[in-house]
Amino acid sequence: MSYYFTILSPTDTPIFNIAFGTSKSGGDGIARFRFPDTAQYMNQFIIHSSLDIVEETQWTNGGMYLKHIDTYPPAAAYISAFLTPSGARFLLLHQPPQLPASNSSSLGASSLLGASGSTTRASSSSIAANPTSPQTEEAVRQFMNEIYESYVKTAMSPFYKQGMEIRSPVFRTKVTAAGKKWL
Amino acid sequence: MTSPGDAAPVKPPPSFSPGVARGTSKSRYPDEAESTHSIDAELAEARSVSSPTPPLSATTAELPIRSSSPHARSVRSSTPQLARSSLGSPFDGRFDGSEDIRSLIIRAFSPTVAIYASDDTDELVRNKGFKGGFWELVRPFGDTVSGKVVIRDSVGSSRAWEDYGVRFVDLNGFGRTPAGRESGQESSLTQMEEILEQQLESAEGPFGGSIPPKDALGVPVASPLWKLLLRQILSATSAAPHETFGHPVASVIAISSRNMAPLETLRQLYGESSSGDKRLPDWVNSEYLRYYVLVHDEERDDITESTKLYDQMKRHFGLHCHLLRLRSSQCIVTDDDSVQVPSCEWLSPQERLSGVGEAGKYSAFIRQLETNNIAETLVDLGTDGTPYLFDSDVTAIRTFIRELMVQSVIPFMENRVAVWNDQIASRRRGISGRFMSVGRRFMTFGSGSRSGATGSSGGSGNYDPTNNFYGPDSPEAILRKMADFAFMLRDWKLAASTYEMIQSDFKNDKAWKYHAGAHEMCAVSMLLNPLAMSAKIKLESVDQMFENACYSYLTRCSDVPHALRALSLGVELLKSRGGSATESAARWAMRVMDFGLVGPIGQILFTERVSACYASKISMGGAKWGGRRRKAGMWSIFAANQWLKAGNPTLAAACLEEGERLYGDVLETDGVFPIPEMQTFVDNLRHSVKVEYLGARGFDTRDEPASEDPVLTDETSEKLEKIDKRNHRRSLIGLPGQLDVGNFNMTSGTRDPENSPNDDFERA
Repeated sequence: MSYYFTILSPTDTPIFNIAFGTSKSGGDGIARFRFPDTAQYMNQFIIHSSLDIVEETQWTNGGMYLKHIDTYPPAAAYISAFLTPSGARFLLLHQPPQLPASNSSSLGASSLLGASGSTTRASSSSIAANPTSPQTEEAVRQFMNEIYESYVKTAMSPFYKQGMEIRSPVFRTKVTAAGKKWL
Repeated sequence: MTSPGDAAPVKPPPSFSPGVARGTSKSRYPDEAESTHSIDAELAEARSVSSPTPPLSATTAELPIRSSSPHARSVRSSTPQLARSSLGSPFDGRFDGSEDIRSLIIRAFSPTVAIYASDDTDELVRNKGFKGGFWELVRPFGDTVSGKVVIRDSVGSSRAWEDYGVRFVDLNGFGRTPAGRESGQESSLTQMEEILEQQLESAEGPFGGSIPPKDALGVPVASPLWKLLLRQILSATSAAPHETFGHPVASVIAISSRNMAPLETLRQLYGESSSGDKRLPDWVNSEYLRYYVLVHDEERDDITESTKLYDQMKRHFGLHCHLLRLRSSQCIVTDDDSVQVPSCEWLSPQERLSGVGEAGKYSAFIRQLETNNIAETLVDLGTDGTPYLFDSDVTAIRTFIRELMVQSVIPFMENRVAVWNDQIASRRRGISGRFMSVGRRFMTFGSGSRSGATGSSGGSGNYDPTNNFYGPDSPEAILRKMADFAFMLRDWKLAASTYEMIQSDFKNDKAWKYHAGAHEMCAVSMLLNPLAMSAKIKLESVDQMFENACYSYLTRCSDVPHALRALSLGVELLKSRGGSATESAARWAMRVMDFGLVGPIGQILFTERVSACYASKISMGGAKWGGRRRKAGMWSIFAANQWLKAGNPTLAAACLEEGERLYGDVLETDGVFPIPEMQTFVDNLRHSVKVEYLGARGFDTRDEPASEDPVLTDETSEKLEKIDKRNHRRSLIGLPGQLDVGNFNMTSGTRDPENSPNDDFERA
C-alpha cells in the first residue's frame, strides 16, 4: 500500500505533501505508486479532482473525518478526507499494491479480456490489501486525528501564518511516525 | 421524454455564431452572472420559438458523422459555448446532444426486414448501377421511414415517431455470419479501431495544410468521432440466437415485370425461403411476415400489364403487396433530376471498412433531399462510384418503405406482441404461472444433477445446451421475441417487464448469453422508459443488471462485442439521465477502459466520454458544490495528453481547451493551478500541444515571434519559485498563460479581444 498525504489550504493550495509506503506486514515504508516515476503529478490530479466530492460531502456529513470519499478506478486509488475548522483539508490517497496479474489498465487492444478489473484482494483483513474495510477506515481515522493534533500545534506557532507552507521538520517527522504507527 | 416533440434539438440562436462569445481569458468572468442571465432568456426564447415538432431536416441533418458537414460542425461547436455560459441553467444538459444520442440508440434497434429478390429483379437493379441488387438499392432508404410512424402500445395508447427506421438484410447472406462468429468478434473490434484511424486521417486531411475554417476546431471534432464509435459498437453485433433484433420480422419477396412466370416465381421464392436451401437457421422463428413486391420497369414494360399482374398478386397473397415503379436505365450525375444515393447509416465495421469513402456524402445528400433543391446543392460532381438515382425512383422507394412499415410490418408486430402477451406472458405473470415456475425449480433440485450436460438437466429442458439456443417455439424464446418486438415498437415498459420476467428462467437453464442479453436489455429499456425510475433504488438495480450482463457476456461467454455494446449503452443512457446517474455512467466508461474492450483510439474516446459524463453533472440550485468540474477537467486533460501521444495535436488542442474551460470554474485564476506539479504538467502539455499543432500545420515553430520563447522560459523559471510568492506570480503568469491559449485558439478561430487583430493579419 502506498500513501500520498496532502494538506490543502482553503484556497486549494497544498501546504504540506508527503508520500510514504506502508510499514505494516513487512513493508519498508517506501511509496510505490502505480504510475511511472515521471507521472507523479497523477497523485495531485486525483487529489485535486476529489475536492469535488469533499465539497459535496462536507455539507452532508457532520464529522470532521469524512472517511473514504472517492475512488479513481483506473489506478485503484482511494481518497480519504479530514476537515479542520480552519478550512484546511487533509487528504490521504491510498493505493493498494499492484498485483502482478492485474496489469489490465494498460492501453492496448491485445488484452481484450485482460485480468478483469476485480482485483482479487489478497488476505482481506490486513489494512494494506483492502482500502474500504472498516479496519482501514479506523486506522486512517487514528492517523488523521494524530496529524490533526500536530497540525494544530504547528499552526499555533507564532512564526506560522495561515496558508503558509509547513516546513517544520518536527511536523514532518511526526507525520512519518503517525504513518508508521497506523498505516 | 424521447418523443419527437421533446427531443426537439433546439438549434442555437443565431446570435451564437461561433467565435462571438468565446473568450479564453478571464475577461469573461466579471460579467458572467449577467451573461448567464441573458443567455438563459434567449435560450428560453429559442425553445419556445422552435416548434415542438422539428422538421425532419433538423433531426437528420445532425446525424452525419463526418465533420465535413458544415451544419454538424456549427451545431457542435456552438454547443460548448452554450454549456459554458449557461452553467446551472435548467436547460443545461439538453444541449450536450444527449437527445441526439438517445435517438441514435433507439434507431439502432430497428426491426429487420429480409430481402429476397428474384434473379430478374436483381438484374434490373444491377443495370441501374447497384451491384448488390435490390437489397443494396433499398437499404440506405430504410434508415428513416419518411413521415411519422404511429405505433400503438400494449395499453392501447398511440404515439407518433418521426425517426423510425428499418434495417434491410439480404436473405442470401443471412445466417452465414453466425457460423464464423468466434473469429468475427475479435476482428470486428480491430476493424472498429481501423475505421477510427481512417476517420482520423481523413479528418486531418481537409484541415491538414491550411488554416481550418473558423468553427471547425475547438471541441467539435471529438464528438462526431464518438458517435462514429458508438454507431460501430451498435452495429458490430450480427444476428445471434440469444436476441432477436437481427432476426427478420418480415421478408420482402420481389419479382420484376420482366419475369415470364411471375406467380410461379413468387411461389418458388417463398418455398426456398421457408424450406429450401435459403432457409433461415434453426434458431430463427420461421413465423415472419411475407411481403410481395412487383418491381415495374417504367421504361421497357407496359404498366397495364403490370397492374394486371399486381391485381392478381393481391388476389393470391392478400394485402401485403406493393407495386414499385422504377426506371431501369442507369442514372448519371448530369441527369436533370439525379439524386445521390445516401450511404447506409448502419454499416457493420466490416462493410464500412470496404467503403468508408462514401460516408461523407451522406450529409450532403440528406440536405439535398430535404430542401428538394437538388441541382443547387450537389457538391462535388462525379468523384467516385457512388450511384445516383432519379428523383422519381427515390420517391417511389420511400413510398414503398413507408407503406411496408406502416401498413404491414408494424401492425404485424403489434399483433404478435398482443397475441403473445395474451397467450404466454400473462399466463406466466398470473399467480399460477408463478407456482409453476417455482414448482419447476423444485423439480430441478430434485433431479439433482444440475451441472449435467444432458439436455433435460436444469430448468425447463427447452434449452439446447450443445447448440446453445432455445428452440424458436419454446415459451422462453417467444417471450424474448415478444420483449424484443415491444422494444422495437418502443413500448419500453412492456419490454422491461418481460425481460425481467424471463431473466430467472435463463439463469435456471444456464443459458448465459440469453441471461446476459435479458439483463442488458432490461436495464436499457428501463433507462429508455421516460416515466419509470425516479428513485435511487432503481438506479442501483439498473447498475446491478449491467453488472450481471457484463459478467455473463465477458466471463461466461467471452462475447466482447455484446459486452461492449451493453456497457456503452449503459454509459450513454445513464449519462442522459443526469443527476447521480452520471457518476455511474462515468464508472461504467472507466470499466470499459479497464477491461480493455476497445483499442487505443477507443480508449481515448472513452476518456473523453468520462469527462463529458462528469461535466454533465452540474451543481444544483446555484450552490457551488455538487458539480464534478474538477474531475471532468482532469479527464479532459488526460484525454488531451493521450491524443498528443497518439499524434493528433488537433484533437489534443480541442481537449485541452475543453479541460481548461471546465477547470475555469473551479480555479481562482484562469489557467493557474494551485498545485505546482499539476501546473507544470499542464504547462508542458500546453506547450507541446502548441508546438505540434503548429508543426502539423506547416508553421515552423522557430518562426514564431521571438518574444514568445523568452516568455516561456520565464514562465518555467517562475514556476520553480516558491509557493508563497504565488500571489506575486499570478500577474506574471497570467500573461503567458493567455498568450498560450490565445495562440492556438487563434488558429482555431477564436479571437482574443486584446491581441487578435495583428495575429490574424499575420496568419492571413
